[in-house]
Amino acid sequence: MTRLQTRKAVIGYGGTPIVHGVDVEVPDGRITAIVGPNGCGKSTLLRALVRLLPASEGTVLLDGEDIHRIPTREVARRVGLLPQSPIAPAGITVKELVARGRTPHQKVLRPWSATDEMAVTSALHSTQLTSIQDAVVDELSGGQRQRAWIAMTLAQDTPLMILDEPTTYLDIAHQYDVMDLLHHLNTRQERTIVMVVHDLHQAARYAHHVIAMRDGVVAAAGTPREVFTEELIRDVFALEARVLEDPVTGTPMVVPAHGPGGAR
Amino acid sequence: MRILRIGPLGISTHRRTFAVGLVMLVALVALVIFALSNGQSSITILDSLKAAVGIPVGAPADFIVGQVRAPRALTAVLVGAMLGLSGAILQSLTRNPLASPDFIGISMGAGTGAVVTLWLIGASSLWVTAAGAAAGALVTAGLILLLSWRHGIVPLRLILAGIGMGFVANATTQYVLTRMDMHEAGNALGWLVGSVTGRTWTHVSVAAICLAVLLPVVLWNARSLRTMEMGDDAARALGIAVGPARMALALSSVLLAAASVAITGPIGFIALVAPAIALRLTRNAGVTLIPSALMGALLLLAADQVAQLMPTTIQLPVGVFTAAVGAPYLLWLVWRASRGGPA
Repeated sequence: MTRLQTRKAVIGYGGTPIVHGVDVEVPDGRITAIVGPNGCGKSTLLRALVRLLPASEGTVLLDGEDIHRIPTREVARRVGLLPQSPIAPAGITVKELVARGRTPHQKVLRPWSATDEMAVTSALHSTQLTSIQDAVVDELSGGQRQRAWIAMTLAQDTPLMILDEPTTYLDIAHQYDVMDLLHHLNTRQERTIVMVVHDLHQAARYAHHVIAMRDGVVAAAGTPREVFTEELIRDVFALEARVLEDPVTGTPMVVPAHGPGGAR
Repeated sequence: MRILRIGPLGISTHRRTFAVGLVMLVALVALVIFALSNGQSSITILDSLKAAVGIPVGAPADFIVGQVRAPRALTAVLVGAMLGLSGAILQSLTRNPLASPDFIGISMGAGTGAVVTLWLIGASSLWVTAAGAAAGALVTAGLILLLSWRHGIVPLRLILAGIGMGFVANATTQYVLTRMDMHEAGNALGWLVGSVTGRTWTHVSVAAICLAVLLPVVLWNARSLRTMEMGDDAARALGIAVGPARMALALSSVLLAAASVAITGPIGFIALVAPAIALRLTRNAGVTLIPSALMGALLLLAADQVAQLMPTTIQLPVGVFTAAVGAPYLLWLVWRASRGGPA
């Protein structure tokens, strides 16, 4: 089952297509990872999935309806986005930032409701930010800040959550911290998650479904085991690699075959 | 978050913001009363209040308060509020504390538009001057956008283009002044300094009408403005129609600045400083519109009162006075920015 999909979608900036007619289905209740080399169009595809970019040909369908025919606010009640580099207003506290996630549920003349308060409390709780909810976001560590932004997207209370490189700029411990949080949200709250990630190891461990892109087309899509093969890594990333079994999780683990002591 | 809800309109605001706003409002009322009763003719507070609302109390007070002090004070209040709002919107949209209509050329453009109107049509009606100022400000804003546009708005380019356009507008104004006859040019020059002296109830009503039209537009888009501070993508993902909201807000900001220029001439630094002070006092994260407007009103009225307290021989127009006080603040901002601190 899928609520979000593209049909032969051509997507680009100002008439220059970057994504060339892709068919993508986001499986409901699963974690989908989009991977690919720099400039392959993965972020472009992601932007089209949340309606930040129009498809010049083909369509993006949300619940079977052309996403561009759905009002902005309505889209924002169904699909949440964590952009790559959002800006925290100077001096904003964690709770205030998370409360901004309620924007699509509010109207100009409608006050803050008990539902809003509950969504914010629960988002703070799920991201373990309750104890630092009054801290100023600028003063948090990178990992905490990223959790605050994820909490904001959570408070938006959308069944679909889309994240553009949620672990970039974080140290390794905080990267896995964020990944564990997404896994938790997926299993406990049945949120559908789509993320662009660079780290194939993380994609293999945490995603149920992987979409590998190259030159603006989908090179492969399927389970991590189906997608992460030595041929595909060579084909998509132009990298000679061995695919081993992760000793901890049993998922595929991509190890470059060259470098000091390697084959080259 | 300690949120306060007020009445059926459902305005939610922070308690601190509300308290600070209330204090500013009380201070403003007190300052207006002071402005009505204070001056060279001593008139009691009660008499001046009566005269201000049109209850006859006797010969000198009826005229001095009713026709001189009251319109002057109210003009300062309304124009100050316009400037505070205009600056707050512009600073929020560009995410830059240096962006204010008098700093990035909008007010100069409005001045040029108004002077050209005076030259071509004459001082027929304040509305005509206001329309000229609005046209000048809109053309300037359009040119600034055109010059700074590069796949979207780049705030620093916008400010540099604005400063450049300000010089172009001023040069145009100077040229037009040389083409006017001596008497008209003298009047225009006096107006270009920026002053609330000699303003009448006509000025007050034009200011009130402009504010009554533009303030609701601004408040209607206030949430969009706050959300856009997080970046366009984040705002769109939160359901904000970024394009229309930005257009409405930018237009409102330009028109507020233009109207203020038409009514009092260009008064510098209020639009730059008022939002910054309001932000520090309320400790709000992001733009705070009503406190910025109140602070603008307070600053302009206070500046005019202080200017009036000076000995008559060196009484300064309020525009000169705000520039003298505001320039050090600007230098301080630039100094902080150059040290790499948060500007």
